[in-house]
Amino acid sequence: MKTLRRLYLAAVLLFLYAPIVVLIVYSFNASETRAVWGGLSLKWYAELLRDESIMQALYVTLSVAALATIAATLLGTIAAIGIHSMKSGMRALFMNITNLPMLMPDIVTGISLMILFLFAQVPRGYGTMLMAHITFDTPYVIFSVLPRLKRMDKNLYEAALDLGCPPAKALRKVILPEILPGVVTGALLSFTMSLDDFVISYFTSVRTQNLSMLIYSMTRRKVPPTINALSTIMFLTVLALLLLITGRSNKAITKKGGFRR
Amino acid sequence: MKRSVFAMPYGLWMLMFTVVPIFLIIYYAFTFGGSFTLENFRLFLEPEFLGILGLSLYLAALCTVICLLIGYPAALFLASKDFKRSHIVVVLFVIPMWMNFLLRTYAWMTLLEDTGIINRFLEWIGIGRKKLMYTESAVLMGMVYNFLPFMVFPIYSVLSKSDDRLIEAANDLGANAFVTFLRVTLPLSVPGILSGVTMVFMPAITTFVIPRLLGGGTFMMFGDLIENQFLTVGDWNFGSALSLIMMALILVSIGILNKVDPNGQAEGGGLW
Amino acid sequence: MVEDLRLIELVGVSKEFDGFEALADMNLYIRKREFVTLLGPSGCGKTTTLRLIGGFEQPTHGKILFGGVDITGVPPYRRRVNTVFQKYALFPHLNVYDNVAFGLSVAKVPHADIARRVKAMLEMVGLKGYDKRYIDALSGGQQQRVAIARALVNEPEVLLLDEPLGALDQRLRKDMQLELKKMQQRLGITFLYVTHDQEEALTMSDTVVVMKGGHIQQIGKPKSIYDEPANAFVADFIGESNILSGTMLEDRLVSFSGHKFVCVDAGFGQNTPVDVVVRPEDVLCSASGEGMMRGIVRSVLFKGVHWRMMVQTGDTLWKVDSTQMLQEGSEVGVSILPDGIHIMHKMEEAVQE
Repeated sequence: MKTLRRLYLAAVLLFLYAPIVVLIVYSFNASETRAVWGGLSLKWYAELLRDESIMQALYVTLSVAALATIAATLLGTIAAIGIHSMKSGMRALFMNITNLPMLMPDIVTGISLMILFLFAQVPRGYGTMLMAHITFDTPYVIFSVLPRLKRMDKNLYEAALDLGCPPAKALRKVILPEILPGVVTGALLSFTMSLDDFVISYFTSVRTQNLSMLIYSMTRRKVPPTINALSTIMFLTVLALLLLITGRSNKAITKKGGFRR
Repeated sequence: MKRSVFAMPYGLWMLMFTVVPIFLIIYYAFTFGGSFTLENFRLFLEPEFLGILGLSLYLAALCTVICLLIGYPAALFLASKDFKRSHIVVVLFVIPMWMNFLLRTYAWMTLLEDTGIINRFLEWIGIGRKKLMYTESAVLMGMVYNFLPFMVFPIYSVLSKSDDRLIEAANDLGANAFVTFLRVTLPLSVPGILSGVTMVFMPAITTFVIPRLLGGGTFMMFGDLIENQFLTVGDWNFGSALSLIMMALILVSIGILNKVDPNGQAEGGGLW
Repeated sequence: MVEDLRLIELVGVSKEFDGFEALADMNLYIRKREFVTLLGPSGCGKTTTLRLIGGFEQPTHGKILFGGVDITGVPPYRRRVNTVFQKYALFPHLNVYDNVAFGLSVAKVPHADIARRVKAMLEMVGLKGYDKRYIDALSGGQQQRVAIARALVNEPEVLLLDEPLGALDQRLRKDMQLELKKMQQRLGITFLYVTHDQEEALTMSDTVVVMKGGHIQQIGKPKSIYDEPANAFVADFIGESNILSGTMLEDRLVSFSGHKFVCVDAGFGQNTPVDVVVRPEDVLCSASGEGMMRGIVRSVLFKGVHWRMMVQTGDTLWKVDSTQMLQEGSEVGVSILPDGIHIMHKMEEAVQE
């Protein structure tokens, strides 16, 4: 029975990993076409570094993810503290607004933002992509921080006041350290969501492409083997990021939203 | 000072970038050339478009069923005692989910293409090459591959939290392993199943990337249709109406799931 | 020990939460070095009173004086009081030392002073050497001590304690009660203590304030509250009692349970309906045929030091505590001496006053 279970899980894992492993193997293939094995080589990695469009897209992806994460973390953490202190009616309103982007299919979010930008005659590029990312990242921060606030002993803040802290200082010295793990989890979630996003970026930016958009446009033509090298690097990066998050909270990793496709 | 003021910048941001855009979609969906009309919704009732919705529902449902059939045993075994201690196996299931979505789908292209690994294997065992890419099966494959983890995790998280003593109690009361599963484990995991079903069905019905890459544009799904209306045809009004229909579809499904599971564990994607 | 100076005074203080009146027109003063306990069931307003004094809530009406100065609008961080919170509210991200040092470091006390005072305080509460421990590595009793140290190290004029022993087990509670009382006497700090445990209140306090439904029922020394409860509620809340309806026939003569009894109370007028309280230990049983009434022992329960018996006389079932056991079902004589009888106004009147 035990062996059967293990075999089954191994088979499912094989299904999940096979495509990735194939890409990784191809990334070391010296031959240009996938049909032929031309021997081990690192040449696609070297070429990857020289490919300006990929490097540019990588820069866009990373910088948008970083900026959106910083903005979303600030906006979301402060908002969570505010929402936490709200009475039930207002809180329900804010929670519904927060839930909205998570319930909406990515394609609808992307299109609605595209309409907004076209309507307001804002040219779609780096800036609009960044705004869109902040919009879908912030709810993740709020959902990571709020449970921390709820779990916190409500007297902690009062204890700080009691011991002489003015409100702002009490917030910084007591509440912030208490919710910090939630803030960090939210930031990591935001960063990974941003890295992964294709659909929303696709609709909210024309002039600037992130990696997902570049890969999408490549698959419509011919995909250069450098993409295999890129996949390998990204896979390892995700692995490292994930181990970092796993160290923090086991729960956070399964939290990835269901509708972000 | 009221601390609830802290939420105001966020409130304004979301008003601007979530609420206003939704109202823009609603506006376009109910107008044509600036005047009110229901024509955009009526157009959707044309057989051509209903057919696209039908195909999308069919493929999404099929994908959900396959994911459930593959995913439930996986979740069950993952939550069983032999794996409960080993967090690493769970992480192994998570890792592919976090790989860039486009890259994952592209990886399947390399597997399924005419000169890909699968075809070469088929050739080698003597069956010969098959046309795999640009078929419904390829799209289905891509969807199952991408969304399977969304089925496994909700079920796993419910099962792993359930009390071992319940199983022992059932055994104590004379239930064998099969009866215990049927009468205790399965009913307990219903919230997980519901949430898994939502989390697979929703992205499956809205995706336009997978049919584009693996279906090669040979047939259209609901997500394609919307994208097409905005970026190719340029009919914002019809596209907006389609977007609203899609949202309504999703809200109704979530509403139904919440009815089935009044404890609300499937609510809002359920993983929170 | 207790000085006459009124350190804290509540003048006509009331507090409403969304239309619910938690505290009604409260007048109370606390003298310097006094150990005052607010006692009452949950929802009686005792914690609200404490939070008003701590500055965490603002009164709807009335004012709070501190050393004669109105401090009604002063925020908690500018009040010379410190609080030991119900579940301690220790900062989980700080270790024991940093928790205790928190208030001093906020007040920018020089590091050397902080170190000296924190060490001394930890030693006083018996946590010497626990400086580097984190809060979740401590037992409930140890957390309790850290909470007390964290408050006391700031040398507050008044220490507010909100059910501080509520989370501890019976044994530890008793030890901590004694220790807290000793600490209070040695440091000469005013304690305002909130509890729902009458025994705790009676053991520790100089003054007990019994509260119910936002109203003060009685203020007094523990002994006088026990011996002379102001009404049936206080009598019932302070220890178990036999509470009966009776009629005050004239001064020093009362009738209840179908008999007339001589008592020590006077001034109720003639033929006035009253509540009569008799403590279980004041119901005396003797051999059958003796005493004022005839009774039958209905049940016997051993309570550790004494026996609790239920004795029936006519329609009345008496709670009787005695160190001598009686046989269940046996017939006994029952008497009550004049000073064992406490006469009180009927409840309704007492609450309205």
